[in-house]
Amino acid sequence: MNPSPAIEVRDLSKRFGDVEAVRGVSFTVQEGEIFGFLGPNGAGKTTTIKMLCTLLAPTSGVLRLAGFDVTKSPDDVRRAIGVIFQDPSLDDRLTAEENLLLHAVVYGVPRAERRARLDEALAFVDLADRKKDLVRTFSGGMKRRLEIARGLVHRPRVLFLDEPTTGLDPQTRKATWEVLRGLRDRNGMTLFLTTHYMDEAEHCDRIAVIDHGRIVAEDSPEALKRAVGKDVVFVRTNEPAALCDVLAERYGLTPDRTEEGLCFRVEDGEAFVVRLVSEARVAVTGIAVRRPTLDDVFLALTGRQIRNGNGDAGRDRMRAMARRR
Amino acid sequence: MRAEVVYHLARRDVVKFLRDRQNLVATLVRPLLWILAVGFGLRRAFDPGATGVDFVSFLVPGVATMAVLFSSMFSAISIVWDREFGFLKELLVAPVPRATLVLAKMISASVTSLLEVSVVLLVAPLLGARIDPLGALFAIPVLVAFGMAVSALGITVASRMKTFEGFGGIVNFLIQPIFFFSGALYPLDGLPPALAVVVRLNPMSYAVDATRGLCVGVHHFPILLDAGVVLGTLALVGALAVRSFSRMQA
Repeated sequence: MNPSPAIEVRDLSKRFGDVEAVRGVSFTVQEGEIFGFLGPNGAGKTTTIKMLCTLLAPTSGVLRLAGFDVTKSPDDVRRAIGVIFQDPSLDDRLTAEENLLLHAVVYGVPRAERRARLDEALAFVDLADRKKDLVRTFSGGMKRRLEIARGLVHRPRVLFLDEPTTGLDPQTRKATWEVLRGLRDRNGMTLFLTTHYMDEAEHCDRIAVIDHGRIVAEDSPEALKRAVGKDVVFVRTNEPAALCDVLAERYGLTPDRTEEGLCFRVEDGEAFVVRLVSEARVAVTGIAVRRPTLDDVFLALTGRQIRNGNGDAGRDRMRAMARRR
Repeated sequence: MRAEVVYHLARRDVVKFLRDRQNLVATLVRPLLWILAVGFGLRRAFDPGATGVDFVSFLVPGVATMAVLFSSMFSAISIVWDREFGFLKELLVAPVPRATLVLAKMISASVTSLLEVSVVLLVAPLLGARIDPLGALFAIPVLVAFGMAVSALGITVASRMKTFEGFGGIVNFLIQPIFFFSGALYPLDGLPPALAVVVRLNPMSYAVDATRGLCVGVHHFPILLDAGVVLGTLALVGALAVRSFSRMQA
């Protein structure tokens, strides 16, 4: 196996006019890792992925992929990677098979192997029985799976996925993740993905939290959550005012009133609620303790929650219009 | 550059063209309408003594060249289309030189426009046009080269355009003077001096002249000049197309 890391990025920056979309980002991804870029829309995720995929020239910095310099030998990099874009990139007037065949030819898959590779990729995403159908007749989830299949036809060493499950229903999302995990486990493929879904980031071996073009933290999801530390506790009571006073006076906590009851953060939540119930002279009707999530991590790191923007609405309308022609 | 890649990329456009039945029929019928309406409509206003052939025979090579102009130019809209629907990213991230992608586009454009030309040249004799079959065969390479040059111009425009409307606007602005100042509809002898200058500056005039010379034996320039201008235009605009396309970012 090649000793060089799958992806190596040092001091990567990209500026568009006055806007600095990516500001001095550095990270390394090892062969066979699932590495996630987690951040809100507009944080610089897609810009970074485009630079890694040779679609956008960096303003400054070093980018190496599978040992190749991305700016100096883009075609070597292109052969080594597969890309699954955020927006659909299939030709929906061709059949599933035609889309994959064109990809195989363009990426130089030897003629003798093409048939087998196509069938294998289609079977992998469970679309073998639809290969003769036009892509325009596919559902969103099927198109996504077909894009993944296409990304696999040339057996890339590194697979890039920009927001791989955005816009998919939970079931399809789960199925997609099973496919992706299978790739890593079976073929040792390196996966680099961007996401603004916390539950998606949980699937990664390591994540880099990116905000305003900078990496603000980088570790395994578990370690990141441990670093935030405190558990989240919800307590229901019929006398919230009285309980608030107890929490404030006795334990120095300032709980928030939420629909699920009073909410606060403490270390070792289970031990704390046992103490609270025995010590406080207020009747408690319900208790819940939850571990910190990546949402909490993001909030702790940036002081904000990940927002779920919708910048693509105009573009989608334009597409719908164009399709009617 | 791998020939197989060019073939498969060009094939994609041709397959899609053939698959869209309504568009296919409309595209193939349109030039015939020109021959029927303009050819037979203006036949009596045309003085056969000036050229030695009847107007329908005179017009057919012009309409064939016109079909190549329109269809090759508009075939580049597939680039705008591919950008809007995302497929362009798949092409731009592929380990293939940009020139390969441009060449494939030019080839598919000229193949689809040749389908139109074939219909025109096959149906025209049935409408009474006197076309020399062997000459028509020799006109094909001229029209292929012209179609590739026009498609290169379309690619140049499409590489800089982000919307269908933008592309349509610029292309219509280009296509009309190219067509009207080309001699597709009228003989080049005895034109007013200003018009004669414009017509001589227009590469399409030479494509029409060569086609007409080969098909019906009427021409204004030497055939070698015609061929030279068409090939020169192809080289120039082809290079421009590769440059524009390479600069494009997804």
